[in-house]
Amino acid sequence: MSARMRMADLARCFQGVLPSIIATSDARGTPNVAYLSQIYVIDERHVALSRQFFNKTSRNLDENPVACIEVGDPLTMQAYRMRLTFLRSETSGPLFDSMKVRIDAIASHTGMEGIFRLIAADVFEVQSIEMVDGFLEQPPADVPNASLDGRRTEVRGLQWVSDRINRAPDLESLLDVVLQALDEYFHFAHTSVLLMDDARERLVTMASRGYGQSGIGAEVPIGQGLIGTVARDRRLLHVTSLDSDLRYGRAIRREAARRPMAGTLDAEIPLPGLCDAQSFLAIPLVVGDRLIGVIAAEDPDPLRFGEWHEAYLEIVANQIALVMDRMIERCNEPADKAPAPVVDRGSTAGSQAAPNPRRRLRLTYYAHDEAVFAGDEYLIRNIPARILWKVLTESTRTGRTEFTNRELRMDESLGLPPVKDNLESRLILLRKRLREKCPDLQIVPTARGRFALRADAALELVQR
Amino acid sequence: MQTLRALDPGTTVVMASVDAQNIPSCCRAIAVASSDGGATITVYVPLATSHDVLRNIATTKRVAITVTEPLTHTSTQLKGTTLDVRLAREDEAAFVRARRDAIAETLDAIGVPRRVTQNVTCWPAFAVTARVDAIFDQTPGPNAGAPLR
Repeated sequence: MSARMRMADLARCFQGVLPSIIATSDARGTPNVAYLSQIYVIDERHVALSRQFFNKTSRNLDENPVACIEVGDPLTMQAYRMRLTFLRSETSGPLFDSMKVRIDAIASHTGMEGIFRLIAADVFEVQSIEMVDGFLEQPPADVPNASLDGRRTEVRGLQWVSDRINRAPDLESLLDVVLQALDEYFHFAHTSVLLMDDARERLVTMASRGYGQSGIGAEVPIGQGLIGTVARDRRLLHVTSLDSDLRYGRAIRREAARRPMAGTLDAEIPLPGLCDAQSFLAIPLVVGDRLIGVIAAEDPDPLRFGEWHEAYLEIVANQIALVMDRMIERCNEPADKAPAPVVDRGSTAGSQAAPNPRRRLRLTYYAHDEAVFAGDEYLIRNIPARILWKVLTESTRTGRTEFTNRELRMDESLGLPPVKDNLESRLILLRKRLREKCPDLQIVPTARGRFALRADAALELVQR
Repeated sequence: MQTLRALDPGTTVVMASVDAQNIPSCCRAIAVASSDGGATITVYVPLATSHDVLRNIATTKRVAITVTEPLTHTSTQLKGTTLDVRLAREDEAAFVRARRDAIAETLDAIGVPRRVTQNVTCWPAFAVTARVDAIFDQTPGPNAGAPLR
């Protein structure tokens, strides 16, 4: 006799690490058995299965609305069988949208957008759940239950994060505080924050933690890849067994490529961050109907992020988005009249000493590409590149080293959008790129709306 | 070609049957073999976990078997009619265990530890021999469901 179970006991089985199987039958009694892409738990009595193609399983359910599925615990391999009754297919609404974002993200990431897509969320009533007795030779060893510890940490962490983000003095500090909090309290060791550049419809990586290469300045077009899909749909995305999902997507891509529609396939874009990521969690930062950015986390452990992480991050993200939005708005206010002392963020920033004449730094602006190179190394492009070049040429021409955000906004040649210009985030990006790639040259904030140019080498400016 | 590859070691095998009221049941199998080039197949299912599937077979004889290469998701589904069900012989145990270990090897490569998969019961087993009536491509994608034979 198999032991009866509750849905809550099977949480790990629904994370998609081990493929589940579904058996159906047509009206004449011919069975069909297939693997399942995604099982979504609605409540204790209902689940939804993703339907990506009109296939035999779908036709069988229309004829004979019963199914048997078998799921497996990825830590122990223990199997469980569920008997289901098919209720309905949903093609829109919150459930459909929640399931769609994951499939869209995988599709985009594998260049299968529009081909590999959610057609419907098939909703089932759960009639019974049973553990399959005798499935394992030896009883599984106890595995730690992360959820209790998680919930305790969640409350403490929420309090801590709220306090820290409210005390962050500026946007740049806030970005770092957020990632530090996720690492220290939730051991999210590989994270990044991307902010929206409305004018270019792209996300720009503004801060990262736990990567060999920071990736600061890396861009993601809206709607492309995992992060781009989260930005477009403005919905949290949690992908476990990333490798398996990508293999699944690639299998479809391979099959689709054999058909005439192969010409519609896009090139696969590389996954940012870890090369061995198995779990991925991304959450949009939204205020009202405006997208501010995306926080992304990944990990080599396929079970790294639990359900409680999603709930927790939703709350934290709302707070972060509000504070970021407020800071971005504040950056649009007039500059302080009296410059405050220079803020020293390490490296050579803040140095008031004369340039070291024995060091020379060649900076080249390629006008056609709107890109600045430091020596032979790419530094930055687009609006931040134009800002840097304006400041450098102005300083060389007049000897000035102090500048204001206001004068940048007044300069039409920089091409800043008339509203929501994201000037502060562009300056943060420029500062971070300089710190990483060109420490002899720094842009240092001196007061609200003011900054100074600091050079510790003799500059040679070349425009091409 | 794809049909013959389904008999290779390292593939995962699942099986379904229906009762007289067309209610389906399924279970994971350990191995599949054919001695006549695929005209008939023998599926090995653990005795401990195949009660429902075998009870259905005793009534309706109809079975569906899907064989998948986990690394590529290439899948083949065979629909058939059961010819014989028997307890697997001791001289088949080595074959069944070798197939279980081959699955463990494959899954280990994609992150499921070998020791975990090797804890899955594989013996004693029933050997279900079925005539293959139809073969379908089950690989996820627009071709899924296309007949291969």
